Amino acid sequence: MHTQAVQVATPSDTTILLTRAFNAPRRLLWEAMFTPDKMRRWMLPPPGWTTTTLECTPLVGGYVSVAWKSDDADPAMTLRGVFTEVVLHERIVHTEIMAMGNGQIVGSLVEQHEFSENSGVTTMRITQTFESKEARDGGASAMEGMEACYKQLEALLK
Amino acid sequence: MVSDLSPQLDLVFHALAHPARRAIIRQLSDGERNLSELASPLKMTFPAATKHVRVLERAKLVKRRVEGRQHLCRLHAAPLKDASQWTEQIRRHWEARFQVLDSLLEEMKSEEETRSRRS
Repeated sequence: MHTQAVQVATPSDTTILLTRAFNAPRRLLWEAMFTPDKMRRWMLPPPGWTTTTLECTPLVGGYVSVAWKSDDADPAMTLRGVFTEVVLHERIVHTEIMAMGNGQIVGSLVEQHEFSENSGVTTMRITQTFESKEARDGGASAMEGMEACYKQLEALLK
Repeated sequence: MVSDLSPQLDLVFHALAHPARRAIIRQLSDGERNLSELASPLKMTFPAATKHVRVLERAKLVKRRVEGRQHLCRLHAAPLKDASQWTEQIRRHWEARFQVLDSLLEEMKSEEETRSRRS
């Protein structure tokens, strides 16, 4: 089976919705998404960075904690969040705060994952909700947090 | 590359966030329409439709010209291209991760099969 590329939508001013089908049962996809040694594989660090910490406890009140280091900083960037809602293999919600190594927060959001399985194919929907439209458009997502971080580093090196 | 902080992009996304305005864009993709032609399929009053058109004008998605008593609107699609570049950056970032996830899932499936064959 050929899985379709991820679809990106903006259902409201403060949200981004990602939809992607995977050729696997949702039980396995869930395991791949929330088990630290599996997460290390797909949560690609920015080029030149290394993942130093990766902890994840997908239970209500459990934490997700990721840290990266670069040649110049350890940590260069951190991601921390708490799971607030968990329905095993179906739906999971966590908060997420991205910060620079010095603690300066570069973005925060709430991320919801929903899984639905049909004949061995699982569709995952990720809804990211930001505090404001400006935060969404202005680079508060994890990826853009990293990009903001690059830009600050570049500025420092100049 | 599109700047993440582009205020113009904010206006475009705000403009696209309402179904009536997306309907107006769809109508205008077939060609120029006057305001009452735009209002009638939306089952909307004329002033309400005009308000939506104004939002689209501010985002520079719609251009309006006055001909006699008629206000003719047409689509100006260039800002939509910037908006799609913004989503394109997000799409590329996640698709790269998801392709790694695809191969990871294949590994996990075959490991599981091996285990179940052994037991």
